[in-house]
Amino acid sequence: MEKLTTLAEAVASIPSGSHVALPGFPITRCAMAFAREVIRQGIKGLTISSCVGAMDGDLLVGGGAVERMIYGGGSLDRFGRLNCVNRGIEDGSLQAEEYSSLSVAFRYLAGSLGLPFMPIKSLQGSDLLTRIQEHTGSDVAYIADPFTGEKWLVLKPLLPDVSVQLVHTADAEGNAWIMGPRWDNVEQAKASKRTIILAEHVVTTEAIRQQAERTVIPGILVSHVVEVPFSAHPTSVYREYDYDAKEIEKYVKATSTPESLKAYLDEYVYGVKDHWGYLEKIGGMKHLNTLKADPILGY
Amino acid sequence: MDFDYTPSELMATAGAREIKDREVVAVGLGLPVVASLLAKKTHAPNMTMLFELGVVDPEPIEPAVGLADPRVWYRAKVLSSFVDILGSILHKGRVDVGFLGGLETDQYGNLNTSLVGDPHGKFRHMVGSGGANDIASSAKRTILIIRHDARKLKKTISFVTSPGYVSGGDSRAKAGMSGGPSRVITDKAIFGFHPETKQMMVLSIHPGNTIEDVVGTMGFAPVVPKQVPFTEPPDKEQLRMIREVIDPQKMYMG
Repeated sequence: MEKLTTLAEAVASIPSGSHVALPGFPITRCAMAFAREVIRQGIKGLTISSCVGAMDGDLLVGGGAVERMIYGGGSLDRFGRLNCVNRGIEDGSLQAEEYSSLSVAFRYLAGSLGLPFMPIKSLQGSDLLTRIQEHTGSDVAYIADPFTGEKWLVLKPLLPDVSVQLVHTADAEGNAWIMGPRWDNVEQAKASKRTIILAEHVVTTEAIRQQAERTVIPGILVSHVVEVPFSAHPTSVYREYDYDAKEIEKYVKATSTPESLKAYLDEYVYGVKDHWGYLEKIGGMKHLNTLKADPILGY
Repeated sequence: MDFDYTPSELMATAGAREIKDREVVAVGLGLPVVASLLAKKTHAPNMTMLFELGVVDPEPIEPAVGLADPRVWYRAKVLSSFVDILGSILHKGRVDVGFLGGLETDQYGNLNTSLVGDPHGKFRHMVGSGGANDIASSAKRTILIIRHDARKLKKTISFVTSPGYVSGGDSRAKAGMSGGPSRVITDKAIFGFHPETKQMMVLSIHPGNTIEDVVGTMGFAPVVPKQVPFTEPPDKEQLRMIREVIDPQKMYMG
């Protein structure tokens, strides 16, 4: 099967109501081009998950694509809160199931290993646990360690329908390299039924073979590969490009009220045909060139 | 009284002094980064600094907007994952000290970073846990850094994101956790916890404050021992490090 495709085709493979694991960490390697295309295609009712909520999830919530969110808290670092997520939690329109970073990571890890549950020391004695019990009823439980009799809190595995991974380099089979920290991305890909790879660079399989120790996501997990340069904009990709502070500030301001959010979506999501149109909109190659990372610094 | 240092500089220095050489320290951004780097550049050169997303011992040369900013990953020794840092190092029991900040804490050092207001009524949702709950659950000890204000040091907090001594006494152990908060550092005082009741206890007050300044601006009554010394102020070398090496642009200490 030919996996190499367009962003529109890859996104169209996701039915409304799916569980999608998102790759971003607050303002870095967020699947922004993906989120904009999901909103343009009118996909609804998604469950989204990630260890830490980020700008990709916030935009999807703001764009009305999300019903449920499983995450460990999140922000846009110093730029501000996740305005759309927080508004959804505050007015009850978003079903948020809130954990800690490690508990979501362990749920993916259990899923990635095919295990039925994962014991964890986190969450005990906290209101996070009380709320998860109230909200989900069955995603956490207690068992006795069969060897020692000790009581353990256990978590249900997360098995997303699809994980979206924003990587530096991949080949047409989806063998993918991620530079820098990978947070929950590898466990997400391995726990999910399939993965969509958004690569800054698509290279030959021969190039992957030359440095195969860099491959963190094997192609067998991957259903679609799309070459989408600058797909994380306005967030950063380590060693590729820096975050775009002005555009993130614009987003934070726009998402502070439903009215200004609508104007933002009209301009940056619905107002452009595709990712290329978006890149032109924010200033094209001339502007993007100012964000390119220094090879030594990585930003 | 005039001082040649700011309250933030005193807090960072007090945090740094809590770290011993060769300890493994999990940190969030802000003051804890300054405290950790200060310890590493002075009395604890062999300490290890961890960020939850998969970053070990970076040597940043520019201020960052958060943990998601590659500026704070610069020259790291390891770039890996949550499972690697929060799992194999923290959950396994290899983190000595966790630094945590928050919106509110109570007399048992339970910490709220989730929301302000009534969780079942009208509230404003904030950041949530991130790795804070994991660190509070599994680090050998935690140090809380928080502004000294009755709205932050409260009798009852809106939400327990990260457990301290839960409801005091042996309730933390009964909930299945060892460790717990060892210090609370504010801009007026340093607190420990009573060995039995686990109530917050004044250990030292910062120069320029009286015990009334400290106790009168809290939402609960801490244990106050008969003799309370003044906190040791930052020395010249510590101030030089903070101002010239660690945070010359006053990004964290503003």
